[in-house]
Amino acid sequence: MQHLANLTDVRGRAGESAIEVDRLSHVYAGPDGGVPALVDISMSVGKGRFVVIVGPSGCGKTSLLMMMAGLRRQTEGTLLCHGRPILDPDPERVGVIFQEASLFPWLSTLDNIEFPLSLRGTPREERRGRSQAMLSLVGLEGFGHRYPHELSGGMKQRVSIARGLVQDPPVLLMDEPFAALDEQTRMTMGHELLRIWSTTRKTVVFITHSLTEAVYLGDEVLVMSARPGRLIDHIEVTLPRPRTYEMMATDVFGRLRDRIWQQIRKTA
Amino acid sequence: MTRAQIILVRLALLALVLGAWEVLPRTGTINPLLLPPLSDVLATLANLIGRSSVQEAVAVTAMEVVVAFIIAVPLGAAAGILIAESEYLGQVFKPMLFYVFSIPKSIFLPMFILVFGIGFEQKVAYAAFTTAFVVLMSATAAVESVRPDHVLVARSFGATRAQILRRIYVPSMLPILLETLRIAMIFNFTGVMIAEMYASRTGIGHLIANWGENFQMPQLFAGVIVLSAVAILFNEAVRALEEQCSTWRT
Repeated sequence: MQHLANLTDVRGRAGESAIEVDRLSHVYAGPDGGVPALVDISMSVGKGRFVVIVGPSGCGKTSLLMMMAGLRRQTEGTLLCHGRPILDPDPERVGVIFQEASLFPWLSTLDNIEFPLSLRGTPREERRGRSQAMLSLVGLEGFGHRYPHELSGGMKQRVSIARGLVQDPPVLLMDEPFAALDEQTRMTMGHELLRIWSTTRKTVVFITHSLTEAVYLGDEVLVMSARPGRLIDHIEVTLPRPRTYEMMATDVFGRLRDRIWQQIRKTA
Repeated sequence: MTRAQIILVRLALLALVLGAWEVLPRTGTINPLLLPPLSDVLATLANLIGRSSVQEAVAVTAMEVVVAFIIAVPLGAAAGILIAESEYLGQVFKPMLFYVFSIPKSIFLPMFILVFGIGFEQKVAYAAFTTAFVVLMSATAAVESVRPDHVLVARSFGATRAQILRRIYVPSMLPILLETLRIAMIFNFTGVMIAEMYASRTGIGHLIANWGENFQMPQLFAGVIVLSAVAILFNEAVRALEEQCSTWRT
């Protein structure tokens, strides 16, 4: 655990926010005025913070993330990233990591990681340099020339994280990135993510439906209600950094997890 | 087994079949009027190949196959991609096309004769018609094989429409499309043959049909050999193209 950086300087100064959501609502078009999916969401994610959004499935948390990524447009309210509205995907500001690793099977690991750079015509040598660096950051040196079908589920998700980080966006959005992994891999990956986060100093918005994952990873946990999704609680995780597996057995951890569960249960 | 051994076994099998073709008619085990011995067929073949009428027939058939293929593949592919990509067009045309696909296309042959006569155009039109359907169906499947999550990832990295097409659609669809080319060629060649055998003044199909009707068995089998050679040639040509594309893919 010693290799984890001191995180106090990673967290941004108070008041400096990476993402600002203001009275955001979303209605899916349909008969009778449509189906409300998100209702009056306001939140702020401080620079360098690790913020987890939890909620029951179908609560609209993925929709919210898609809007932060510029992949979907909300029907109401504003969304700012580093002070500017998010209207379209902007990989310079925001990197997205999806539940499925979604690697391109026709590209090698390195080419997958370089994909975002190749879209922008980054010169080949620079691309190689950066993708190699990302590859070692996620602990996959030596796998650069393998193809996705030769990698395990955890390794694929590591490559996907490397791909999301390669353009060095200040904000990383993660949509249940470890949900498809088995429990043990999931624990290791969570731990790995904290290590990567501590070295890259990104702002992370992490979506999950796992209460344990939420408390273990986050600086703050935002709890969403069942559909239509609203924010019903905001919890500061008081556990110190670096986090350890042993913390999961502590009273504080249990109380935090229980509080989230009680909130979700009320609305279900 | 090593590769050399497998090739040896293959050659032995080929020799066995060809040997039986020679010996069985000669010994009378098979009626030589129905299956003339291989040497007779080869002699006839040598003779036929020298004739300008046969050379012309081969050239005409090959031309029909090439032209029909060049028309059918882009047409079928474009139609298939449109139907798969546009929800509206898909809903309108998909059921119709699937029903028509199940009908044996040869029943439309008389209509093609009425419209195009019995010349070059009719062969090309009919073969292109049958082939375009196969390409259309495969192209639809190829588009459907593009994973939405791949498109979403590309979009999240700011890919433009053109980039999504070139960097996601093309490589995703390529394996199916390449396979389609070869299958399309088989259907295409069959289409030309059926049209030629049904009603024509030239072409290998026409010659073979004539020889068959006149009970000229050596000529008939010589024709089959020529036809097989041409068909294998086309198949290999498409395969070479396929290999070219797959090296580009990696």
